[in-house]
Amino acid sequence: MISLKKRFLAELIGTFFLVFIGAGAAVITLMISNGAVLPNLFNIGIGALGGLGDWLAIGLAFGLTVTVLIYAIGHISGCHINPAVTIALWSTKKFPGNEVIPYIVAQLIGATLGSFLFAAVVGMNAVTVGGLGATAPFEGISYFQAILVELIGTFMLMFVIMGSGIDRRAFPGFAGLSIGFTVAAVITTIGNISGASINPARTFGPYMGDLVLGGTNLWNYFPIYVIGPIVGAVLAAVIYDYISSEEKLPEGRVIREK
Amino acid sequence: MKCYMCALEGKDSEAVSICIACGMGLCMDHVIRDEVEIWEGGYPLPSKKHEKTLPKMLCKWCYDAYRSG
Repeated sequence: MISLKKRFLAELIGTFFLVFIGAGAAVITLMISNGAVLPNLFNIGIGALGGLGDWLAIGLAFGLTVTVLIYAIGHISGCHINPAVTIALWSTKKFPGNEVIPYIVAQLIGATLGSFLFAAVVGMNAVTVGGLGATAPFEGISYFQAILVELIGTFMLMFVIMGSGIDRRAFPGFAGLSIGFTVAAVITTIGNISGASINPARTFGPYMGDLVLGGTNLWNYFPIYVIGPIVGAVLAAVIYDYISSEEKLPEGRVIREK
Repeated sequence: MKCYMCALEGKDSEAVSICIACGMGLCMDHVIRDEVEIWEGGYPLPSKKHEKTLPKMLCKWCYDAYRSG
């Protein structure tokens, strides 16, 4: 197996691109719509010009990035680029426990670098107008509702990872596409509810960038993006394992072939 | 089966293997044993390399063709 040091680097690079390209798309959308008349408080600017199409564009930026990264580093590190995925794989004994912390550290560092470098190439408007694409519950969405929708979104993501990636009966080679489509679909629908993080690292990076660069401090919302995704991913992994396993025959039962 | 390469050189020798690519018979002097690495697994788990390699018997022409990319 490739050394942990190299896989650490692969996870770091993967999560860097996820945040730079994905969260970066949210920043650019907010910058483009900056100054537009917003019809209601539920609309913060994403959707001001293109309706749900704005969220589809952001979803595709995330989804396409996830797809190509899976094909690029999936065979090296597994391309988790998401602490919830790493923890869910560990919880179902598919990933070694001693590698969970290094993977998560790599993902958090990569996500933070992604936010800082995006601010570096766009300028301070990325922080003051775009908030570095940080996630937060939208107007009228409670803390609990945000956790629940993050749980549901990450459940779907992990369920598809299990079905198209882990399960060796799956049609080979399509995991990347399936998972990218899933990410895009989830973000399109729940983006304007909780921000559609479905990944603690994806929220950690912009939060850290905003904190250091003088943006809005949103850390009180961070538990939403830890609890929801991790619980959702673990539930999906456990349930998929259950529904995909074959029934065991009662002990002592003998099958005779004719 | 006789060794094709030896036959080209005007010699007559028994083949001990067959090139897996073109099928020519090869004696011990002309066969090239290539060792192919076997990787198992992949997304969303890191690939693992098997301890043992998979032997692949080739003639010089096919071996050179594979190596040239």
